[in-house]
Amino acid sequence: MQVANKTNAVEGPDFSKETPVVLSSPSFHDITEVISRPIESKAGMKWYIALAVAVSLFMLEIFCWGISFYYGTGMWGNNIPVAWAFPIVNFVFWIGIGHAGTLISAILFLFRQKWRNGIARFAEGMTIFAVMTAGLFPLFHTGRPWLPLYLFPYPNKHAVWTNFLSPLLWDVFAVSTYFTVSLCFWYVGLIPDFATLRDRTLGKDFISKVRKTVYSVLSLGWRFSNRHWRHYERVYLILAGVSTPLVLSVHTIVSFDFAVAGLPGWHTTIFPPYFVAGAIFSGFAMVVTVLVFIRYIFDMEHIITIDTLEKMNKIILLTGTLVGYAYGMEFFIAWYSGNIVEQFAFINRAFGPYAWAYWIMISCNVITPQIFWFRNLRRSVPIMFIASIFVNIGMWFERYVITVTTLVRDFLPSSWGWYNPTLVDFGLLIGSFGMFFTLTLLFVKFMPVVAISEVKGVLAQAKPHHHHGGGHE
Amino acid sequence: MSTHTSQYQKKDLPPVVGQVGFGLLGVGLLLALVSFFVDPLRTKFISIMLFMFLAGIGVTSLFMVAIEYLAGAVWSTPLRRIFEMFSSLILFLPIFALPVVFSMQDLYEWTHKTDEILARKAAYLNQPFFMVRLAVIIGLWIVFYKLFTGNSLKQDTTQDQSLTAKNVKLSALFIPVMGLSITALSIDFLMSLEPHWFSTIFGVNFFIGSLTAALAVITIAVVLLNENGYLHPGTVRDHYYSLGFGMIAATVFWMYTAFSQGMLIWYANIPEETPWYLHRWDGDWKVITLAQILVHFIIPFFLLVQRKNKRNPNRMLFASVWILFAHLFDLYWVVMPAYRPQGPIIGWNELGFVLLAAGVIITVFHQQTKRKNLVAVGDPKLQRGLEFRL
Repeated sequence: MQVANKTNAVEGPDFSKETPVVLSSPSFHDITEVISRPIESKAGMKWYIALAVAVSLFMLEIFCWGISFYYGTGMWGNNIPVAWAFPIVNFVFWIGIGHAGTLISAILFLFRQKWRNGIARFAEGMTIFAVMTAGLFPLFHTGRPWLPLYLFPYPNKHAVWTNFLSPLLWDVFAVSTYFTVSLCFWYVGLIPDFATLRDRTLGKDFISKVRKTVYSVLSLGWRFSNRHWRHYERVYLILAGVSTPLVLSVHTIVSFDFAVAGLPGWHTTIFPPYFVAGAIFSGFAMVVTVLVFIRYIFDMEHIITIDTLEKMNKIILLTGTLVGYAYGMEFFIAWYSGNIVEQFAFINRAFGPYAWAYWIMISCNVITPQIFWFRNLRRSVPIMFIASIFVNIGMWFERYVITVTTLVRDFLPSSWGWYNPTLVDFGLLIGSFGMFFTLTLLFVKFMPVVAISEVKGVLAQAKPHHHHGGGHE
Repeated sequence: MSTHTSQYQKKDLPPVVGQVGFGLLGVGLLLALVSFFVDPLRTKFISIMLFMFLAGIGVTSLFMVAIEYLAGAVWSTPLRRIFEMFSSLILFLPIFALPVVFSMQDLYEWTHKTDEILARKAAYLNQPFFMVRLAVIIGLWIVFYKLFTGNSLKQDTTQDQSLTAKNVKLSALFIPVMGLSITALSIDFLMSLEPHWFSTIFGVNFFIGSLTAALAVITIAVVLLNENGYLHPGTVRDHYYSLGFGMIAATVFWMYTAFSQGMLIWYANIPEETPWYLHRWDGDWKVITLAQILVHFIIPFFLLVQRKNKRNPNRMLFASVWILFAHLFDLYWVVMPAYRPQGPIIGWNELGFVLLAAGVIITVFHQQTKRKNLVAVGDPKLQRGLEFRL
């Protein structure tokens, strides 16, 4: 038996041992050092260049929002019959990006997936920034962004209520709940790490004093006592439980925006889980895109390991294939329904004037992730970086295909139209990346991008039965 | 308590298991035969339920095996042989498909009637293609079943790690195959009962409903076997917890898919789609429809939501039996309005089918336990699985 085990160890992976989440067995102190270093040291030139690019794009977005605010939504290409276009596409795209964070932090936590601990903080941060980026689009799309209070039902002297039957109103509740809970979850997780940073800030100069004050306030008097940890873990578990339905509910309701309408191509019963799978798909792709840089720049390749990235790529393969299943079912059921209007909608998508968009979507979302069937491609950083960008292009086009191809072909050919996005539309799309990356870059500079306490929890020496200086055998 | 893998000693199940299985099988068969002569059409519809019940449990048990390999899960390794044993129901599916296949003319409107819409579907809904699909689906499942369990059993003696690696690869192939095949099966056997109706989420809904039932069957077996010392002594309540976790997750997801379908069809209110729900809203069917929410979601959810319930053997047994009932209730709700649109009817005919299903499952399982270890003793992940704690 011993001999057999030895030969097998050469041939393939050893299933009897857990894959270590963190490599090169660092000490607790090493972890604190590595994660705190980017926050405590001066930012490098690369960070400033990246920030300059991001802020420039963010400025572009602010400029385009300003134009939209001053002149109105007529600055966009939206017009009858395509009354929903770039703004809703961008909204759904960014809301989708956020879903990876909640899945990693909540669902994978409940599934006790330890590999999530290295990436959870960053993904949660991304969730919050993505939702912020997304939220502006529907706000401006209302045409009167200075009256946001009207989105909420409240008793008022005009006795005017919101339309409770509209999924757009449900979106208001869903997205605001999602944002609030995600923010709480993120912040609760940050408290012990803020306390670590507070304790490490020892300088007597002005900047250090400011930092110390800020971190002290944010850490809420955390002293690492046993009682604090007990409360913390309880709250964390409860928040994970509360966030889990949110992973599903938000994109479900976003899908309702389309699916409750009686339009061919929008109304189909698989939309809710299909949108959720697509959201997780694009979110994971975005996390991979950014993470491969962060682990390289901050020397965290032993914390955010290639195994972790491989697991993420497996989830990208899974969700990409699920999205492919949904595309297939839509097409098949459109044929099976025997409904010619339904059939036309899908044939028009695949072979009509927007066929290019449809095939970009198919090749990026369904075909690209299939490369992750191969282990060496799953574990290749350049390959996964390129693939993740393709996935995000594909997911943006998916929403574009759904929204625009259905609307350009109205029921009567006399009502058919066309959609031309304006420069402002493109400015908002590109600028939204600026907003997202500006927030992300500030986050990685001023907050621990990896959860210090959580990573320590998955080290070998954190286990109660850990023997010093020796393996289990 | 030691968790060493060598602690497991195979013990034969008491003969009473076989007797109960045969007894239920006998009574069930008898009732089914009597029912066939008294009320043939009703019995034929019931046979669809029986087939889909067993097919769903069989293939989703194999799905549990595959997902363990693919995800690298360890909590389920001490229990995996039980999953494999229930997936052997796949081998008997051809027998249970026969009553449906031989009475297709009575069951499926599309076999003998046509209209403008049905003519457009004829390329898919025709008897030869139906048979081909059925044969391919069951054939593929049997092949995968043989390969998975063959490797797993071989490992009992050889402890060869490369067999796990093989099954991991096999799982990656099996999951997409299963996804497509269970969708096709649910469309063929269930959705085409009302051939004008269509829903893209139907296959997902059937899959996840079957998964709740498979987990319930597995839980009943695991709890009863382990509490009486037939499994590895290192199997503890934390393992029950994980099964309960799977059941509640699947139950919630079932409700989610059911809600997606029902709510969207209700909201859009398109005449092509609403009839299926209207048939389930006529007369007393309304009661069954509304009861689904309670039976299939609210009660199992509250039975399982607390951690202490998921770790309590008796409560887990109760919840599992309830979930099995809920799945049958769901199948009844999907199939029987096609038989009796004016209202639900539940009598000894349906009871006979429940007894028959239980008899089949117990007998098949008992036969499996005679020849195999109840624990995958050679699995390299077994040690880690036994050390699994919350």
